[in-house]
Amino acid sequence: MSQDKKVIRGFALADTSVRGGQYVGNWRVFKPEVDYEKCTGCRLCLLYCPEGAIRADEENKPDIDMRFCKGCGVCANECPQKAIGMRREEEAKK
Amino acid sequence: MPEFDVMPGNKALAHGVRLARVEVIPVFPITPQTTIIEYLADFVANGELDAEYIHSEGEHSCMAMAVGASLVGARVFTATCSEGLAYMHEIVAQAPSFRTPLLLGVADRTLGWYWSLGPDYSDLMPELNLGWIVNFAETNQEILDMTLQLYKVAEDYRVLLPAMMSLDGFYLSYSQERVWMPDQEAVDKWLPPYKAPYPVDPTINDKFPTTTLAPPLHTTYRRIFEEVLQDARKVIEEVDRSYGKTFGRSYGGLVEEYKTEGAEALLVTMGSMTTAGRRAVDKLRSEGEKIGLVKLRFMRPFPDIEFRKMAGGVKAIGVVDRMMLHGTRGGGAFEDLKSGLYNSDVRVPIQGFVTGMGGEDIPIEDMYLMGKKTLQAAKRGRVEKEVEFVEHKFQAAVKPVEMEWGEPIFPGSDGCAGCGTSIIIRHLLKILGKDTIIINPPSCSGVNFGAVVRVPWILANFAAGAAYETGVYRALRKKGKADKVYVTSYSGDGGTVDIGLQSISGAAERGESMMWLCYDNEAYMNTGIQRSGSTPLFSATTSTPAGKVWPGKQVRRKNMLMIMAAHRIPYIATASLSYIPDLERKIRRAAEITRAGEGLAYLHVQQPCATGWYFPAEKTVEIGRLAVQTGAWPVVHIDHGDFKIDVKPKELRPIKEYLQPQARFRHLKDEQFEIIQKDVQYDWETLLELEKRGKFPGY
Repeated sequence: MSQDKKVIRGFALADTSVRGGQYVGNWRVFKPEVDYEKCTGCRLCLLYCPEGAIRADEENKPDIDMRFCKGCGVCANECPQKAIGMRREEEAKK
Repeated sequence: MPEFDVMPGNKALAHGVRLARVEVIPVFPITPQTTIIEYLADFVANGELDAEYIHSEGEHSCMAMAVGASLVGARVFTATCSEGLAYMHEIVAQAPSFRTPLLLGVADRTLGWYWSLGPDYSDLMPELNLGWIVNFAETNQEILDMTLQLYKVAEDYRVLLPAMMSLDGFYLSYSQERVWMPDQEAVDKWLPPYKAPYPVDPTINDKFPTTTLAPPLHTTYRRIFEEVLQDARKVIEEVDRSYGKTFGRSYGGLVEEYKTEGAEALLVTMGSMTTAGRRAVDKLRSEGEKIGLVKLRFMRPFPDIEFRKMAGGVKAIGVVDRMMLHGTRGGGAFEDLKSGLYNSDVRVPIQGFVTGMGGEDIPIEDMYLMGKKTLQAAKRGRVEKEVEFVEHKFQAAVKPVEMEWGEPIFPGSDGCAGCGTSIIIRHLLKILGKDTIIINPPSCSGVNFGAVVRVPWILANFAAGAAYETGVYRALRKKGKADKVYVTSYSGDGGTVDIGLQSISGAAERGESMMWLCYDNEAYMNTGIQRSGSTPLFSATTSTPAGKVWPGKQVRRKNMLMIMAAHRIPYIATASLSYIPDLERKIRRAAEITRAGEGLAYLHVQQPCATGWYFPAEKTVEIGRLAVQTGAWPVVHIDHGDFKIDVKPKELRPIKEYLQPQARFRHLKDEQFEIIQKDVQYDWETLLELEKRGKFPGY
C-alpha cells in the first residue's frame, strides 16, 4: 500500500492558506464618505459592514477599504451620528 | 395570442404543462429547473391553470406526491435535475411498477461531480434503467411539443409508464428561442384527460396497482415490462405522426436523421448539442465529406433496432457523449450503441467521444473535429483510440486577491451588496476562530462564502447537513479532537426547516454535541426566492406569487423554536443580525455547551435579505431591528430549559412598520395586515407567559 502523496492523481483541493476574495469595489454605485469630525468612533459601522471592508484606525474611526466596499450603504444607514454620507461614485470622484 | 413567442425552454415546458391541463404539480426548487415551477406558479396564482400546486419540502417528497397523485388518476407533472433527481431516486424506481404515467422534466445538471450547475447527463445516468421512457429535447419548440406528446405516449394503455424529458440546463432552460404555441382547443381535442385504468379510488374501483409481487413472478414481470417498453417505440412513432398531422410539426421516432443519405460516417448526438452537430455536418458536407448526423431522441427505449438498420450502410459511427460511465472507459450512449450492435450482423467501428462535462460548451469546431475523427475511422476501417476525451484548457477569469489577512474570513465575497448573512458569518467565525469546520448544505452562502472563508467549508447534500456534521463530529471525538475543533453548520432556512429537518431532528435526539446555525432569510434565496417552510404568511415569493387567485404564501411558517424545544436539547436561541452583542453572546454560549459535550446547540438567526424581500440594500440592519421591535422575530433563548426573552420592547411597534418597507408584502390588504398583527400579538403573549413560567414546557 502506497501512502506517498506523490502518487495521488486527480484530487481537487481547496487551499485555505491562499484563497481569498475578489476586488468588488467596482460593484459600487454609491460611495461612502466619512465625516471624521462627526464620527465618535463607536465602531457600529465595523460591526455591521457585511463585507468586512471597514477597519478601525487608532481613534476607532472607520478606515474603509474601497477595494472591497460594494457601496451597500448599511454603514451610513446605521451610523448614529449620521457621519457617513453616500454619494454617487461619479460625483465622489470630482 | 400571437402565432409564436420568444421564450426560454423552461417557459416552453411550463406552457406545455398548462396546455396539457395537468391536474397536480408537486414542486421543489433546484437550479436550473426552478423557473419551470415559477412559471407554473404564475399560471396557477393567476387562474390560468386550475391545478393542485404542492410546495413540497424536498424532492423525495415531491416525487412521492407525484406518484401518489398519479395513482389516483390525475395527470401529474413535476420537474427537477441533478442532486434533486438523485434524491428522488428511490421513488423514481418505484413509479414504473405502479404504472404511473406522469411526466418529469429534467433540466439537466451535473450530479455530485464537483458541483457544476451546468448540464451533463450524469444526473440521468442512475435513472436510465428503471423502466422510464427517457426523451431528450434539442430545441425549446421540441420541449413544448414533446411535453404534449409524452403525455399521450405515457397514458396510452399499451404503455402506461412514466416519462422523463431531458432539457439541457442553461442551453435550453434559460436560452430564448421562438416557440409556436398550439391552440388550447386543438390540444384539448388531441390530448383528452387522463383516465387511469385502475385509479386508487375505493368509491369506483376495487382493483388498484400494487408494487408487491411474489419473487417467482419477478423475472416474468421484468420480461413483460421490457416488452412493453420496447413496444412503446410504436406508440412514440404513432403519436409523433398524429401530432404532426394536427399541429404541423413532427420529429420522427426514437431517432432523427440529418443528412444521412449516402453517408459513410455518422455522428450521434443528443440534446442541445445536436444543433452544433448539424452545423458541423453542414460544413463537412460542403467540403465533400460523406457524413450525416443521428439525433438520439430517446435513450430509453434505446434505438438499437434503428441503429442496426442505419449502421449497415456506413463505415464508422462517432458517438458524442455528455455522460461518462466511469469504469467502462466510455460514455453512456457509446456503450449502449456498442452492445446494441454486438449481436447483429453489423460490424462497424464505433468511435466514442466524451466532452461537454459540467456543462462546458460543445462548439461547432469541436463537433467538426469529432466528425473528422469519425471520417478517419471510416477510412481506416478501425478506431485509433476507442474513446477520446475532448478537453479544453482552463484559464480562470478572475484571480483571487492575494493579501495578508489574519481573520478566518476574507473580504470580497460574492454576496449581494448589503447581504445580511455576510454579517452573521463574519461574527460567527470571529468567535469560533480558525479551528472550525463548517458544514454547509446548499444555500446562497455556499456560493458566496465558500471561496472566502479560511476554514474547511464542506458543501453537504441538502437533506443531510446534520448527518454530514454528525459524521465529522463523531470522527473528531473518536480521534480525541472534539474539544479542539468546533463543528457547526452554516445552513439556510430550506436546509433547516424543510429538507434538512429530519437529519437535524436525528442529531438533536442523539445528542450530538455540535452547533447548528440557521441563517433564516425566509425563502430559498439560492434558487431565486421560492417559499420555504420559514416564509411568513402572505409573503410573495417566486413560487407563491400574489395573483388573482393566490394572496402570496397561504400558510403560516413553522415554529422551529418549538420544534427544537420538543427535542429537549441543551441550548436553543433565536437571534438577529441587528443585535450583534446578543448574537455574539449566543454563539459563545453555544460553543461552550458543545465543547462541554452536552448536546446539540441550535441557533436560528433571522437575516433580512434585500434581494429577496425587496427593500433597499442599506436597510438590512434596520429591517432586522424592526422585525424584533414589532414582534415579528422575537429574540429569545432556552438554556437547559430556562426560557428568556432577550430583547423585550416595552410595547410592540405596529407590524406595518416592519412589513410595509418590504415589497414582498406590497400586495397586502388591511385585513391581511390585521391577521398578521393578531398572530404576532398572540405569539408574543405566549412567549411572555412562557417566560413567566420560567422552564420551557417539556424540560
